[in-house]
Order: sequence, then C-alpha cells, then structure tokens
Amino acid sequence: MAQTSSFKQLSDYSWEIPQSYKPGMNVPAKIYATRKLLEAMDTGVIEQVTNVACLPGIVRQAYAMADAHWGYGFPIGGVAAFDIEDGIISPGGIGFDINCGMRLIRTNLTYSEVKPKIKELVDLIFKLVPAGVGVKGFLRVSEPQFDEIMKYGVKWCAENGQAWEDDPAHVEEGGYIKGADPSKVSRQARTRGIDQLGTLGSGNHYLEVQVVDPARYFDQELARHFGIVQDDQVLVMIHCGSRGFGHQIGSDYLRVFDGAMKRHGIQVKDRELACAPFASKEGKDYYGAMVCAANMAFTNRQIIVQRVREAFSRTFHREAEALDMHLIYDVCHNVAKVERHSYEGKSADVLVHRKGATRSFGPGHPDIPAPYRGIGQPVIIGGSMETGSYLLVGSQKAMEETFGSTAHGSGRTMSRTAARREVHGAELQRRMLDRGIYVKAATMDGLAEEAGMAYKDISEVVETMDRAGISKKVVALRPIGNIKG
Amino acid sequence: MTFRYLPDVALADVAFEAEAGSLGELFESCALALTDIMVDPATLKPAVAREISLESDDADRLLYDFLTELIVAKDVDSLLFREYSVETAPDGRSLRATARGELIDRERHSLRNDVKAVTMHMFGIRHEGGRWMATVVLDI
Repeated sequence: MAQTSSFKQLSDYSWEIPQSYKPGMNVPAKIYATRKLLEAMDTGVIEQVTNVACLPGIVRQAYAMADAHWGYGFPIGGVAAFDIEDGIISPGGIGFDINCGMRLIRTNLTYSEVKPKIKELVDLIFKLVPAGVGVKGFLRVSEPQFDEIMKYGVKWCAENGQAWEDDPAHVEEGGYIKGADPSKVSRQARTRGIDQLGTLGSGNHYLEVQVVDPARYFDQELARHFGIVQDDQVLVMIHCGSRGFGHQIGSDYLRVFDGAMKRHGIQVKDRELACAPFASKEGKDYYGAMVCAANMAFTNRQIIVQRVREAFSRTFHREAEALDMHLIYDVCHNVAKVERHSYEGKSADVLVHRKGATRSFGPGHPDIPAPYRGIGQPVIIGGSMETGSYLLVGSQKAMEETFGSTAHGSGRTMSRTAARREVHGAELQRRMLDRGIYVKAATMDGLAEEAGMAYKDISEVVETMDRAGISKKVVALRPIGNIKG
Repeated sequence: MTFRYLPDVALADVAFEAEAGSLGELFESCALALTDIMVDPATLKPAVAREISLESDDADRLLYDFLTELIVAKDVDSLLFREYSVETAPDGRSLRATARGELIDRERHSLRNDVKAVTMHMFGIRHEGGRWMATVVLDI
C-alpha cells in the first residue's frame, strides 16, 4: 500500500507528489485516483512515477492514471512529456509491445440476432485470426511490401485491398505515424514480424464480441456519433499490438540504450529506464524503428478486422458493408509521439510517452476525424474478459492537464501463477458460458491466468477518469464472445 | 541444474531464478525455464537440432542474447526446444550451444504463454559460493 501522507490532494480524484519527495525530481508527479484507488496502488507506482519525474527534459509533471500499476521502468498507466531538444526518449516509457492498442468496430446486428450463432461465429473468428504461441498470419507480404507497411500502416492497407475507404481516418494519426525509418529495424525484428500480420498473440490480448450494456448506456447522444444507436447493439473489440516485431525492436534498443547512457552522461534510477536524448543518434534511430512497429501494429489490427468482417459475413450471410461493420476507432496505448501541446503559457512540440495510457484529445482538435471532431476523440478502455469494457471521449481538460491522455484498462492485482491456482481454465470457460460469454482460448492455462478476479475493477478506474474530467463515459460494453490468445 | 518461479516479482509476467554449478549449465537452466513458460516440455520431442554461436560484451548480455535467440526461433522458425547443451568460454563472453526440439504442433504440444521479450528488470548473473545464479523476468 502506498504511503500518501506527503502527497497534496488536489481534488477528490487527483494528487500531487511534490518535487521534494525524492532527490533529483525535475518536476512534481501527479496521480489520478480516488483515495481508495490511491491507497490500493502498489508502492511500485509511486517509486516509478517519481523516478520518471527525475528524467532529463521532462516537462510539467510525470503522470500516473487511475489504472496505474508497476511496470518496467515507467509504471503502466504512465504518461510523461519531454522537451524535444533537451529531453529523452525511453523504450521503458513505451513498453515492449509497441503500439499495443484497442480497436472497436460496430455492427447493425442485435444481441438477439447474434446470440443463437455466437458459437459458430466465435469458432470461425478463432480459425481466421491465429492466436497463441508462435502463430503466423495468413497474409503473406514481400520484404519491400513490409517496408511500406512500416512506413504507411493502414494507408498501405487501403491501397492494397485490406481496408475500407474510411478505415484509415478512423485510426489514431490517420492510420500511420510519420517518421518511420525501416533502415533502423534489425534483421531479427524483420524476420520475427513479417509473418505475423493478422495474429492476436497471447498474454492479455483478446478479441471480443460485445453488446451495449443497457444499464450503463451513459450518453446516447454521444454514442449516436459513433453509430451506436440501440441498447442491444453488437460490437467487436480487439486488443493487440505489434507482435514479435515490436517486441524485438524493444529488446534491440533496450540493449543499445543500456550502453548509450554512459556516453551521454545520463544516470537513471532503474536499468529499465534506459534512455537517450531524443535529439541524439540513438534517440532518432529508436524513434524511427519504434514508429515502424507502431505502424505494423495498426496494420496488424486492420488485417484482423478484415478477417472479423469476413467471419460475420459468412455467419450471417450478408456482406460486411450491409452489416455496417465500420471502424469506430483505433487507439494506441503504448507509444511515444511528437505532439503539439499548450502548457505553462506556451505552445510547443513535445515527445509524449504513453505507456498503458490512451490519447484523449478534446473536442475541436484537428487530429480527430471530422465526424467526431465536435465531440472529442473516442477512447477505448478494455477491461478483463469477464467484466466488459468502456467507450469514452476525450476532453478539453485532458488537453489542459495531461497532454491529452487518460487511462487504458484495469491492470492485474494477482500473479499468473496465483490465478492458475485459483481457477482451472475449463472451469472458468464453463462459468463464463453460464453467464452468457462463449470463450475460445488458445490454451486453458492462458485462459485461467486472465480470469476477471486477477484484475482491478475497471468501473472504478473509468469513473475516476470521468469525474476528474479527463475522459467522459459514453457506453459500457459487455462481452458475449471472447477469443483469448 | 534447477530453476524456480518467482510469482510475486511481476504480476503480469513471469520471473524465475536459475542455479547451476557452471556458467554453461546456468544458461541451460535458464533456457529450460523459458521452454517451460511457453510449452509443457514433456510434450516436445528432441527431433531437430539447432546450433547457436554467440558473442557478447559480457556474460549478462550473452545470456540476454541467448534467451532472445530462442524467443526469435519460436516466432521465425516455429521451433520450441526441450534439451540444451551450452558451452561458454572462460571469459563468459561467447558460447556454442545445441538446442534440440521440434516444430510447433498445436494438436500435440501443450502450449502455454507466448514470451514477448527478456526484460532488464532484476536481470543478471551472480557467482556466489561456487554456484552460478541468474534472475530473469520475461515479458508475457
């Protein structure tokens, strides 16, 4: 449990840890949490967010969102912005799974239409979207095509028959982040990634068929903007990232940065905080490679969506277009990006690291696709496979307080081993079926490890970010079918 | 050659500690732990042999690179191994290894977790009281 006596309470939902908390802090740290969440937060979060506050070139504050928990170097649920000239870039502030993120697509089907076919549908998706240890995807691309994917992400998909016309605009950054440099990607990373497009992976990654929860249909007017128009509407949510490609880029550069810090005279409080000046050769090389992984992850989720559209079409004997299977949005929650923000009375480009944190741009921001620009960016927050997930929108207050960032999910409270001791995969599968959730898992051990009891209560996380004004609840979505990698 | 899991180190991931009488055996123990995380090794056959030669700056980085090589073999070549024979140079900066295993077969192999990467958290080799020990945390 965190010792909070020296923290300054800013509101019912936010706390400041002053610079005096630890020698070397360049800025204060800020935590978004109710008192209950704060007291339940592991001490690692406090240690880590204050370590991040010590990094060179950090501006304003280091942030921990309501879902924060211990991670490598940076806490998961952590946000930090750095001056692009004097600041650093750190793989530990992004995570190994570069551009792990969430995607939400809608359908015009209702629960009563999907329920009788849920087993058939989920079994078909499970066949079309490979999941689990060492899986390869069905899409084969050449080396030059893979280079194009690294550079242009979902734009490449749209030009190569792997996306609908309006898909790229409904992805953060319009489907690809600029600044990719495939020459900075190792041979090992390329060979790990080239066959993995359209695969889900394992761990906490999932693909879920969901339905609008009528009891938590918070803002029907906002929901309408996303094409969510009825209280038993079926949607599909995808949680995955850049697969082995991003993991290898993370591993490669963690090693590079471990050595580079000495050369740049940087000392950090944890080896996993390895970093280099953003303006240095190592910093630029990593950014160029990291963007390649981010664009690969957008592509990976896009290819999965194409397979999901195919599965719905085959199961319901209608074209995916007739099922209105448009992409609502795709958000990153493990990434660093150069963004323009206003803070301390100025407007400047900063390098925003979001690790287990979601962009939450408010109404009117030019980076939000036109149909949503008036209401704010869609924010997709995934819960455990038993508890459901949330759709929210970004806010002006997020722009003012957190460099346009919010929480990303729930976070574990129990180890994988402990979860396996508590419940057997097969028993969990039966229990979920009794509650109306049909689960298909690559492994039974993996399923047990992801049981709902192993995670924090997502509702409290979402409620905190909503009441703090950082992102606004639109609708909760409950699972009816789940594919677990 | 032994390893044991450290369940409280990283809630979302898997940590282990390995111990052996020599550096080579320590690498073998770590590799066996990595295998055990990805698959039930009893379901694997030692049908294919893979030779691995690596050089690095020091023993810590050599272990990091060795484990990464095995993770890459899982993704690139769909290979999982159950037997390892590792010889390290006296300075701990290079190795020659043979790993035996087989191509992933989803019907026959009892697969577990897909390992993403070796982390630097608590990572390192120690030589204490004539025994070699390593702590490794893997990102799942």
